[in-house]
Amino acid sequence: MNLPPLALPTSRFPLPGEFVFATAQYESGDWDSAPLVPANLIDSVARYTSLPVAPTGAIVALASDDLFRFPLVFLTGHLPVRFTDAERTNIRRFADRGGMLFVDDHNHDIDGAFHKTAVEELTRAVGPLSRLPNTHPIYSTFFKFPDGPPNTSHELNGWGDNLVHSHLRAAMRGDRIAVLYSNKDYSSEWGYHPDNKRFLAIDNTKFGVNIIVYALTR
Amino acid sequence: MRPLDRVIRTRRALAAAIATRAALGSFGTVLLTAAFLTAALRGSGVATSSAVWLVAGLVGAVALALLVRPWSRLTVPRVALWIEERVPALQYALVTAVDPAGAWPGATFLEREIDRVSWDRVAARAIVRGLRWPAVAALGGLAAFLLSLRVGVASAVEHDGARPSVTTTSEREVPAPFARLVATVRSPAYAGGQVVRVESPASIAALVGSAVVLEAPGSGDGVTADAGDRSIPVQRVGAAWRATVTVETRPEVVRLRHGSAERLVALEPRPDSVPVVRLLFPARDTVIRAARGELRLSAQAHDDIGVATAAFEYIVSSGEGESFQFRSGTLGVRRADSARDVALDAPLDLDQLGLKPGDMVHLRAVARDGNSVSGPGAGASETRVLRVARAGEYDSIAVEGAPPPEADKSLISQRMLIMLTEALEKRRPTLAHETLVSESRQIARDQTRLRKRVGDIIFQRLGNNPTGEEGRGPDDALTSDSTAPAVDSVRRDSVRRAAARAGRTPREIVAADSADSARAALLRAASAATGSGDEILDFEGDETPVVAINRPLLEAYNAMWEASRELDQAETGRALPPMRRALAAIQRARQAERIYLRGKAPAVVVDLARVRLTGKEKGAASTRLPRAPMDPAAARRAARLAAAIELASRSPAAAIDSIVLLRVQSLDAAPQLAAALADALVAMRSGRDATTALARARRIADGSLRGAGGLGDWSGVW
Repeated sequence: MNLPPLALPTSRFPLPGEFVFATAQYESGDWDSAPLVPANLIDSVARYTSLPVAPTGAIVALASDDLFRFPLVFLTGHLPVRFTDAERTNIRRFADRGGMLFVDDHNHDIDGAFHKTAVEELTRAVGPLSRLPNTHPIYSTFFKFPDGPPNTSHELNGWGDNLVHSHLRAAMRGDRIAVLYSNKDYSSEWGYHPDNKRFLAIDNTKFGVNIIVYALTR
Repeated sequence: MRPLDRVIRTRRALAAAIATRAALGSFGTVLLTAAFLTAALRGSGVATSSAVWLVAGLVGAVALALLVRPWSRLTVPRVALWIEERVPALQYALVTAVDPAGAWPGATFLEREIDRVSWDRVAARAIVRGLRWPAVAALGGLAAFLLSLRVGVASAVEHDGARPSVTTTSEREVPAPFARLVATVRSPAYAGGQVVRVESPASIAALVGSAVVLEAPGSGDGVTADAGDRSIPVQRVGAAWRATVTVETRPEVVRLRHGSAERLVALEPRPDSVPVVRLLFPARDTVIRAARGELRLSAQAHDDIGVATAAFEYIVSSGEGESFQFRSGTLGVRRADSARDVALDAPLDLDQLGLKPGDMVHLRAVARDGNSVSGPGAGASETRVLRVARAGEYDSIAVEGAPPPEADKSLISQRMLIMLTEALEKRRPTLAHETLVSESRQIARDQTRLRKRVGDIIFQRLGNNPTGEEGRGPDDALTSDSTAPAVDSVRRDSVRRAAARAGRTPREIVAADSADSARAALLRAASAATGSGDEILDFEGDETPVVAINRPLLEAYNAMWEASRELDQAETGRALPPMRRALAAIQRARQAERIYLRGKAPAVVVDLARVRLTGKEKGAASTRLPRAPMDPAAARRAARLAAAIELASRSPAAAIDSIVLLRVQSLDAAPQLAAALADALVAMRSGRDATTALARARRIADGSLRGAGGLGDWSGVW
């Protein structure tokens, strides 16, 4: 797969053209609550695809212009989210210019502070989040997920809001997902060292590969 | 010369030629036969013997008989015809002239004609031609025999050498004077003088002092023997020679030389073990109150050769302090007549020893073997001490029975105590007063125990040396020697008296007092804060960290104390409110905010090449460490063994000698290597394949073979 070269800072991203998994840093909340997710998804991308990928993730401030250097940015947290004006503006511009923001509720709780505030802030930034149909191409762009988003063990165990969420939500730009929002707590589901992936009968990070491939190809 | 005389002369020459041809032919036959048999036997690994020459001689005799048969046909007419056949110019004149039928009228004419013809050269040429092939046969037989010897040695090399691929011949065959070497080993007289006969010995293991007689048939002329730097006389006894050597305490090699030939015999000394003695009774050291009566002593002794004598030995030590006196003696001496196992029993009469209080009797059993060469070896058992108690030490000897420690009982929770109290309060109207008091006091005791546990938790945080405001009272000055002058003398004297009573140091007393003061201060602060215990603690302003941390538990502690007091008076109704306050305080302590510090997230760098299976395994987990340098002596042994193995391909006998020397020098330093070399030597000398034994010896010499030392802790079967 040929990717357009990315103008990345040479100090952190020495190889142009490789995919760098970026985690969004925002002023409020605990943006760094899932530090192992980037490495785990990088491992999955390397394992299943031939995409040139950087071995470590990057952290990008939502308010900085560096945000536009990354095609996909991951945002998570437990605590209430209050975007600054600069962050809100950047998110809007990021979505309009082709970027994709993947937001995951680390609380897995629709009554939780993160869910309420994040949905509110995202709505203000990019518009309302609508239910993403389970037939969307993101569920088949690499691995096939005919039933929609894969469930997490936290959902099935009844933690958080005791709900098994059947759909993801998204803010669209045309037929492209600009913001993908999840209540499924993938931050916890994927938050383990990639070396421990060998203990799983089924790799639960495959949907993460779909998200990345979708973001890079749309 | 008449024709007849000339024919007779020719007949003599022919007879000599027949005899020579028969001799050469039979000689060649004998050698060919011997060569064939020698090659066949040695090729199959069987040593040659005189039977080979017997068979060869028989075959040679048959050949001689067959080859001599023409002798009988050497008559004058036949010789004349033989000449006529080779000299046609005679035209049968010679046959006619020597006709034994009688004189013939024209004989003179014939003699003149015969005289003109000479056949000596023709006859000589024919004789030489007739001897040519027998001579060739004799030479061929000789060559074949010599070749069979060499081929036989080459075959032996293949069996003796370390490597089966060896095909070269040895330069040294087993030297003739040592080919049938026999060793007779006679053990020392004290060991029974047993005689062991060893044929073709390479190594002899025997007791120190054993006499080894090396003997072989022959005159022994030119044979010399030495062991190290001492020469061994070689004597001729009848049709054999012998050399006698005694086994010394150190391993050595006996070198037998004859000209350039040499034979080595290693002598391995086997030391005589000292007897092993076990004292069975008394089984342990004993203190007796009165030295009276009789004590039975029992012991066992064992020796590899035989025990000569065994006995008990005792030493009585009397006195104390710097003045001691000793007496010694022997009991139950027994001559065992070289029995290998000896049981020893004897009575010890304490009355005869005249023991006084404080005396000690040291008892042991001793056995000696009959080693008259390097001994005798003496073995002794461990020593038991029998002590007579002094009059003043009876109290220290007696052990008072201590009460068993109090069992660790589980505490009843505050919630359960409340339930018990509530139940008792309900039953109160129906209970007798004594029963009510008894059950209420039972609950009070449990409440007290729980209060002590809460107190332990509180004061546990103070540590052994309380710090902070509570631990810095005026009494703390006593804990420092530098501040001791500041303490008044009355206080100091009281501390000293308390220390003397308690058997502790004044410093310990002061420290304990200080800790108690700290606790008391803490409780005073808690009481002052809680007042009568009716309201919740609310420290403000100058509350200490200890109080702040333990505030809920302090409140519970005070409430429990109040509840215990009420329960002790059977006032169950009045005890319940403080009990509930204590429970509420415990609950508040349980719900206290806890702060868990979060560590820094690990920086995970994904090894993409490993994930994509395109990388190379670096093998960091199995990093090899450099080997420890080999012991120089071990390195020399390994080098010598390698050289000997290399030598085996060219000169097996020399290789055997080298290995014998290496083995003798390894007996002490590297017994495992020596054992492996012994196996290799046995294989080489017996003509078997020694590759495995030499390879094992080389692994040991290189240090690559080590014993496992038994099973590991977790390697067994579950």
